[in-house]
Amino acid sequence: MGPLIPNGVIPYEWNSIIAILIGIAFGFVLEASGFSSSRKLAGVFYGYDFAVLKVFFTAALVSLIGILYMDYLGYVDISQLYVHPTYLWGAIIGGAIMGVGFVAGGFCPGTSLCAVAIGKIDAIIYVIGIMIGIFIFSELYFIFQPIYDGSFLGNITLMDSFGVNRYWFVFIFTIIAIVVFVIADIIRKKQKKIFY
Amino acid sequence: MVNRKLAKVLKFRYTILAAILVLLAAGLVLLPKYEKHEGINPEELLSNVISPERYITSDELAHKIINQDPSFLLIDVRDEENFKKYSLPNAINIPLKNLLKEDFEGYINQSQFDVVFLSNDNLYADQAWVLCNRLGYKNLHVLKGGINNWFNTIINPAKPNENMASIDFQLYSNRKAASMFFGVAYPEQVKKKPVVVKKVTPRKVVPIKKKKKLPVEGGC
Repeated sequence: MGPLIPNGVIPYEWNSIIAILIGIAFGFVLEASGFSSSRKLAGVFYGYDFAVLKVFFTAALVSLIGILYMDYLGYVDISQLYVHPTYLWGAIIGGAIMGVGFVAGGFCPGTSLCAVAIGKIDAIIYVIGIMIGIFIFSELYFIFQPIYDGSFLGNITLMDSFGVNRYWFVFIFTIIAIVVFVIADIIRKKQKKIFY
Repeated sequence: MVNRKLAKVLKFRYTILAAILVLLAAGLVLLPKYEKHEGINPEELLSNVISPERYITSDELAHKIINQDPSFLLIDVRDEENFKKYSLPNAINIPLKNLLKEDFEGYINQSQFDVVFLSNDNLYADQAWVLCNRLGYKNLHVLKGGINNWFNTIINPAKPNENMASIDFQLYSNRKAASMFFGVAYPEQVKKKPVVVKKVTPRKVVPIKKKKKLPVEGGC
C-alpha cells in the first residue's frame, strides 16, 4: 500500500502541499516545546539540558520502530523508501562544521528559522550567517567539489553496511538510547541548576 | 486521593515510556518472520491468468512474422537440443531452467516488445509465463498450442471438406499461403517444365593443314 505518493494512493501533485503542512506542524511543535531558545539547545553541550538529545533520539526510535512494524504488517514497503546517499568525508567534515556552529550560535538550521519566526534577534543574525556560508560555499564550489562528491558509498544503511539483522539492530539501538537517557539525566542532576 | 495516586504513577512516567519503547523493539525481534512474496499479488496474477490477452494464436503469430512486425520477441523455452532441431524464425532460446538468470532478464523484463513464449505444447511456455508474470513483467504472451499446433495449422494445414463454411476455406488458403512463406512446397505449385532437349551440333573441326616443308632443293 505505502509509501502513499509513489504508489499513487495520493496524487503526486499533493507532494508539496503535504510537505508544507507537515513543515508548519513541525515548526509549531518545535516552538511549542521550547526549541526556539538557543540556551535550551546549547544546554546539551554544557550538560544542563538534554532535551535536544532526548527529543531527536526518541523521534528517530519511534519512526524506526513504527516503520518496521508497518513494513511487517504490509502497510509500507520499506524497500521503496528513500535512503539518503552517503558521502562519507563530506558528511564528517560538514557535520563537524555544523557542530561548531551549533555550539557557537545555539541553533541548528531548523530551529534557527523557528526562532526567526518568533522574532529572536540572535536567530536573525544566525540565519544571515547561514546565508553568507551558503554564498561562500557556492562561490568556492570548485575547491570543495572533490570533498562534496568524493567517497560516495551509495544509498546505504547501517544494517546493510554492518550486515546485522535490522530487528536486532533496532532493539540494541533502543537499549543504547535508554542507557544514554539515563546517563544524561545523571549528568544533568550533578550540574548546577540554571534558570533561563 | 485520586490525584495523589495519579501523581505516584506519573512519577514513573519516563520509566513507563522507556519500557514501552523497549517492549515494542523487543516485539520486532520476537515476531515470527515470514517470507514476503515478491512481485504482484495473487489476485492480480489470477486476473492476468484468465485474461484473453494471454494467448496468441498461431495464425496471429504467422501474420506478424510475415508482415515483419518488429514489435515482438519470440522466446523458445525448450532446451537447446530441441531448439536446434526446429524453432520459429528469429526465436531466442532461453531454456525454462535458465529463465530467471540475470543474463536473460533484459529480454523478458522490458516494455518495448511483446514477449511470446513458445514450447512444444503450451505447458512449459505457460510455466514461464506464470513465473515472469509474478515478477511483474509486462507484455507477456504464450503461443497457443505451441510448436505442435504451429505445425498442424500453419505448416501442415488440414484441408477443409466440401460441406464446410467458406470461412474455413478462407482460413485454409491463408494458412497455405503462410506455409509457403515458411518454405513448404505444394505439388501443384511445382510445375514441371517440359524438358527442351537441345540438339548438340557437333563442332566442325577445321583441320589446319600444316604446310609441308618442302625438301631442300639443290641449287647453285
